[in-house]
Amino acid sequence: MNSSKKIGLVFGALCFSSVVSGQSAVVLYNERVVEVDQTLPDARDLWVKPEDLTRINDFVLKPEGACLEELCIPVLQDRDSDMFVTRSNQGWFNVTGLADKLQQAHMADYNDGIWSFGTMPLERQSFFSAGEAPEFELPDRDGNIVRLSDFRGKKVLLLTWASW
Amino acid sequence: MPVWQSIYDELKSDSFEIISVAQDAGGEEAAGAIFDDANVSYTSIIDVNHHISSLYNLLNVPSGVWIDEAGKIARINEGTYAKTHFNGAWGTDDYVPIVRDWVANGADSPYVWDSEKVRENIFQRTPEAEMAQPAFRLGTFYFTRDNDEKAERYWSLAQELDPDSWNYLRQDLQYEDGGSAGPEWSERRERIEGAGGTYYAPLEI
Repeated sequence: MNSSKKIGLVFGALCFSSVVSGQSAVVLYNERVVEVDQTLPDARDLWVKPEDLTRINDFVLKPEGACLEELCIPVLQDRDSDMFVTRSNQGWFNVTGLADKLQQAHMADYNDGIWSFGTMPLERQSFFSAGEAPEFELPDRDGNIVRLSDFRGKKVLLLTWASW
Repeated sequence: MPVWQSIYDELKSDSFEIISVAQDAGGEEAAGAIFDDANVSYTSIIDVNHHISSLYNLLNVPSGVWIDEAGKIARINEGTYAKTHFNGAWGTDDYVPIVRDWVANGADSPYVWDSEKVRENIFQRTPEAEMAQPAFRLGTFYFTRDNDEKAERYWSLAQELDPDSWNYLRQDLQYEDGGSAGPEWSERRERIEGAGGTYYAPLEI
């Protein structure tokens, strides 16, 4: 644990000293692998253009904030904040800042610009409080998307196994 | 796997489905042949990021979850087998009969848990352990791109962050000398069981 934390800090420091303007990033979000052409250089946080935010996690930046269906996290956009800044007329949104507000786990390899996000706790509130099965969306072996909700009205026996 | 297929042949209907999810970073290459050899006709997924184990807080494989018609969990976090293997070396013959009972009787089955029992049986992870999934996901990203050094770094980190997960340990050991059931695995299993812990989540029938 300690050694890993140190590695993280060293990566952060290296990144800070070697950032180039407009660095690209790869974002791992559920099954998505989203390539982002340009990010705002920053030692700790992932700042992307609003359209890339939506490609990453489906949140849409609206005047009232960053919104996913009924959920809206207020974001000021007429001045710089820890969530949104404007540079040369381009707005940049802090994706890791949003994750922190939602208490969503995330981790990055700063050197390579690879950012990885865990599940939003909001998606599992009713799992812990009422035993509702969390929704998932994964490709089957033929590449068809399987959603748990496709099986509503049926009993489902969900089994995990592995070759190892 | 072939046993689950025969059970599926017996129980499948418009109101019952099996979703079988391989927790295998090696993808088709690792798990595909096992599905194929069993001529599986139920829903088959190879989950390279172990997303399902992470989402449902399952610590080992095989594990089973019952989900009813309304999407509510009826049983969760149990070490499940279709039958005993190798003269009882592992596995159980007790699970399939209760699945059969549930499919026939639904909510009236005595094996269906109430919501309180379901809640109690959902494994609780620490905030630190929640970090393990993005770390493991990062490791798998590198693994699939043949960057073994970084794959190892982030898979090890996932194990440190979530030491309760057997998945993260054994997935990693699959690609190391000794394998997923070698000396490192036995040593850790003996240590945990010696301290009163369990390897498989207990099956309460």
